[in-house]
Amino acid sequence: MSGKDIFKEDAGLIAQLRDETTYREAFATVIKIYSEPLYWQIRRMVNNHDDANDLLQNTFMKAWSAIDNFRGDAKLSTWLYKIAINESVTFLERERRRLNISIDDEESHLINTIEADNYIDGDELALKLRKAIATLPEKQRLVFNMKYFDEMKYEQMSEILGTSVGALKASYHLAVKKIEQFFSDND
Amino acid sequence: MKEDSDILNKIGRKSGMTTPDGYFDNFVAQMTQALPEKETNIESVAPKSTWQKIRPYVYMAAMFGGVWCMIKMFTMMTPETQPLSFENNQTLAEAVSDETFVDDYYMDGVNEYDLMEDMYEDGFDIASLY
Repeated sequence: MSGKDIFKEDAGLIAQLRDETTYREAFATVIKIYSEPLYWQIRRMVNNHDDANDLLQNTFMKAWSAIDNFRGDAKLSTWLYKIAINESVTFLERERRRLNISIDDEESHLINTIEADNYIDGDELALKLRKAIATLPEKQRLVFNMKYFDEMKYEQMSEILGTSVGALKASYHLAVKKIEQFFSDND
Repeated sequence: MKEDSDILNKIGRKSGMTTPDGYFDNFVAQMTQALPEKETNIESVAPKSTWQKIRPYVYMAAMFGGVWCMIKMFTMMTPETQPLSFENNQTLAEAVSDETFVDDYYMDGVNEYDLMEDMYEDGFDIASLY
């Protein structure tokens, strides 16, 4: 299932999640559908496979424990993305505190993490893009990743991040400009 | 607004990141198995016994009974007073029927002048009072 398709709500799956006799099997289906897009969303934020793996597990565990409270007011995909993003942001804050890293030093810390990542395909241009993304402020990074890699619609991003479409468009535009600047500065 | 730059178009949407082989398949299997059993909130509700059904009414009746007993007790503790009348007081009836008693004790409108006049008539030397 592609990144775009996961936002198509499956009413049958939601109904199965609410049924006590089928919710476990339904949640297994949820894991199957959402593990990959959520993994990449987390991985692009934390830039490390092992951390992304742990955070993905935490995301599904939290979703599982709170599935009774999921009333369907929001889309399942939106709800899961919110949990995953919250997990990622909380992890990055915790790491900053643990390693005593200031916001100003976060960029160099992220670049070190990217360089230490074992699971890369060796594409130099892609690696440079990751480093460019690491220079962006946290929310701009999120917006850029969601728009550029997941090709999410601004409306979907707005639901997940709780930010207006206009602000998201401006944020993405700024992110692209900064990445261009990074490439021109590091030619 | 032009969204993607030439550089981004050149790179494509590759992140350059990979995962271990078979990671997602393994993840789904392991994660599904790792899900803890959920506690069901359905509690078996035992049928109510007769005592449980009538207990509130019994308690309410006992409360009203207690209040009634207290009122009754206070009433009993209060001394019973009957109006003083000739019919139910023999001593008073005899005293009133005795003319001497009435003259001596049952006079109203007594003032100092009347008393002094009575004393004078009885031969009492009033001057000795002063």
